[in-house]
Amino acid sequence: MTTTTGLGEYKVLDLSTGTAGPFAARLFGDYGSDVIKIESPGVGDPSRRLGPFHHDEPHPEKSLSYFYLNNNKRGVTLNLETAEGREIFKEMLKKADGVVESYDPGYLDSLGLGYEEMEQINPRLVVTSITPFGRSGPYRDFQGNDLLYQAMGGIMYTSGAYNREPLKHGHPQTLWMGGIIAAYATSAALFTARLNGQGQNIDLSMAEVAASHHYTSSIRYIYNGSIERRAPKIESGSTKGTKFEGIVSSQDGHIGPTFQKGRQRASFAEYVGLLDRADLDDARFATEADRQQHLEELDEILLPVLKEWKKFDYFNTTMSEGFVAAVVQTSEDLVNCPQLEEREYFTEIDHPVIGKTKIPGEVFRLPKAPWSAHRPAPVLGQHNAEIYSDLGYSKDDLLQLRRQGVI
Amino acid sequence: MSGALEGVRIIDSTTMVAMPTALHIMADMGAEVIKVDSHTLFRTEGGVFPENDPGERHWDRDGSFNTLQRSKIGVTLNLKEDDSVRAFKDIIRVSDVIIENNRAGTMDRLGLGYEELRQIKPDLIYLSNTGFGYTGPWRQYAGIGRMFELTCGLSQFAGYPEEGPRRVGISFFDQHVGWMAVFAVLAALHHRNSTGEGQWVDFAMYQIGVSTMGDALMDYISNGRSGQSMGNRHNYLAPHGVYQCKGDDRWIAITAETDDQWDALVKEMGSPEWAEEDGFADPILRLRNQDELDGHISEWTKDKDQTALMNQLQKAGVPAMAVMDARDFTLDPHITDREFFERVAHHPDTDIGTRLYFGRPWKMSKTPSYIRRPAPMLGEHNEYVLSDLLGIDEADIARMYETNAIGKEPVNPGSARGTNLEKQIAEGVIAGIDPDYRKKLRI
Repeated sequence: MTTTTGLGEYKVLDLSTGTAGPFAARLFGDYGSDVIKIESPGVGDPSRRLGPFHHDEPHPEKSLSYFYLNNNKRGVTLNLETAEGREIFKEMLKKADGVVESYDPGYLDSLGLGYEEMEQINPRLVVTSITPFGRSGPYRDFQGNDLLYQAMGGIMYTSGAYNREPLKHGHPQTLWMGGIIAAYATSAALFTARLNGQGQNIDLSMAEVAASHHYTSSIRYIYNGSIERRAPKIESGSTKGTKFEGIVSSQDGHIGPTFQKGRQRASFAEYVGLLDRADLDDARFATEADRQQHLEELDEILLPVLKEWKKFDYFNTTMSEGFVAAVVQTSEDLVNCPQLEEREYFTEIDHPVIGKTKIPGEVFRLPKAPWSAHRPAPVLGQHNAEIYSDLGYSKDDLLQLRRQGVI
Repeated sequence: MSGALEGVRIIDSTTMVAMPTALHIMADMGAEVIKVDSHTLFRTEGGVFPENDPGERHWDRDGSFNTLQRSKIGVTLNLKEDDSVRAFKDIIRVSDVIIENNRAGTMDRLGLGYEELRQIKPDLIYLSNTGFGYTGPWRQYAGIGRMFELTCGLSQFAGYPEEGPRRVGISFFDQHVGWMAVFAVLAALHHRNSTGEGQWVDFAMYQIGVSTMGDALMDYISNGRSGQSMGNRHNYLAPHGVYQCKGDDRWIAITAETDDQWDALVKEMGSPEWAEEDGFADPILRLRNQDELDGHISEWTKDKDQTALMNQLQKAGVPAMAVMDARDFTLDPHITDREFFERVAHHPDTDIGTRLYFGRPWKMSKTPSYIRRPAPMLGEHNEYVLSDLLGIDEADIARMYETNAIGKEPVNPGSARGTNLEKQIAEGVIAGIDPDYRKKLRI
């Protein structure tokens, strides 16, 4: 349940849709805040219509994205385009500490619910506005999405094959990044608000989120004028001609092998010894500098050897000896991961439509105000009666409001 | 005006990228972040140097270091010396938070573990960042940022569809983890402010990364489905890709998520006959026939200017964005208007001059964040920390310099060299060098 410690003393209104804002608000819910998701009547967050769906059945209560992003929240419906809806919202603002919203720039202002109006109602309020390109500047009204953010922020220009189209990460990762950033920025502003009673407005740009991730390219330009491109090194590992340090095939999937051991580079003899192939030791590859001179030969010798390994055997064998390695884990691997299992990462929650299901859990371990899964994602309008009656609306009022399309 | 975290003091006992990222953000927000460095350890060999020249103080001149350590106070403490360990504990006494990213057990061996430090500072917030956390069969495995895009499940979706997984970007999870650490420290600070309790935070990079794969994990749990290489495509929407434009290696990203956006795109393309065909009549058909669709769009974009086309399409309501390289982005009019980059003047001894550094992707209206000072030169704030903050007297400080407990010059500076840029051009690692970059950046 929510607590009165840590983030448990905060009430956050989540007006946002999609991934970034809802993830930010969920992180508050995870660590104890009372988060109320506010959705438009009858329609709800558009992510309710976005797959994947539970058992692949398209249904507004079965979107797994919506489900994961909105656990640990209560949910109401409210039509902010009606006068009554706005009055109810203003009542809610009085008791809130934070608001997370992701409307187009200017939309809330056009309803008379811009930050200035909200501040009048509750000066302690922290209002976090997530927009594609921020609320100022020539691209302020541009449309945005994950592909566009990765394109602008420099991730794509430096990723992919040298002579092919620039490449993004397949999962819409910038949206999740935006969620984490919105969460810490909101929390920092709440920290100030609690000390001096002064709330504020946060203007978050998703395109700048992507650019903050990929700062290394801009440093190179600013320090010496060089312009990074999609390099052969990304094509095939650390340097032209080799796949080593890139992603390579194993018997049952893909792995990321390296010669790195601790902060050093291991000798070739030690590495092939570890792979039980001491017979492959070869003076041409003795040191890192030697290997750089013979990259193609190195690939010719090692890639077939690695192809014989099972990915987790390779991972455990090398990592337990202090080497740096990775496995391309699939969702199946992750759900069955022994490390996550021992850390009790997965937990269970009972959703009114989806039923009882396993869910990914604790983000980080905060022993005195711990993560918990205390509430499944709300079905549309699930907590209307509970929340609006707290504001003093009677059952009859609620019926009336529903008929008028306010809730 | 003061920053959101004014009055909070944090010890930074971290290396690499993830935690330094968390700490520079908090320093930008006004926290006093004391970076505990060591002049007896190797600081940098390679690096991105001003004008590609390591110069005389190469250890103070690396662009990545200067990005990640900006806004911080720097002190050198050689923790092999008792005087330095004592000073470290004295800083703890007057601090709110410590973040460290040593392997599990290292801080305990130094006598600087949570159990020891809470004795001298009961409400201390102590965040230990490791690759996989303090428990579990993988707890001793190396946690290196660039490996987590594979291990956290992100790479299963990456790569051209017919090829399989490939790396994208650089060290993808370091920043996620750094940002989440800011959230974690703040949650602990909120808790301390309401209860007076400190705590130890077991912070695992792996778990942070996996938590951003939630929809994918649920897809496996509910439907038994794992990911596959997606290229630039979307599971449910088309068009969703990048298309070649006029010029050398110029591309534009275009998507149409709604029928309105599709109709607008068709109109901007001049309502070509192919677009009216049955094969593209609805979103499901466009997704099914996306190879053909991408071919048509590429044919249309190939002789267009990427920036003009971006502006034209966005004006018509179609999501579009030029695929920007570092120069495009750094000089972009919108980014410039937003003042995303901040100008920082370095100490004359570094001979760096003024450089631009990226700010933060958000602006707070009442507690502005900004780069408070350039990254500290090695040991730059030894006197501030030891004398002003801790009250250690001059003679003792002098003794600490003599015994190498502290220092301002690396004991082993190593040798540094610039990047072989010609070789990188030949290999395609860089597209080229802009000879006018200083003029364009006004530095």
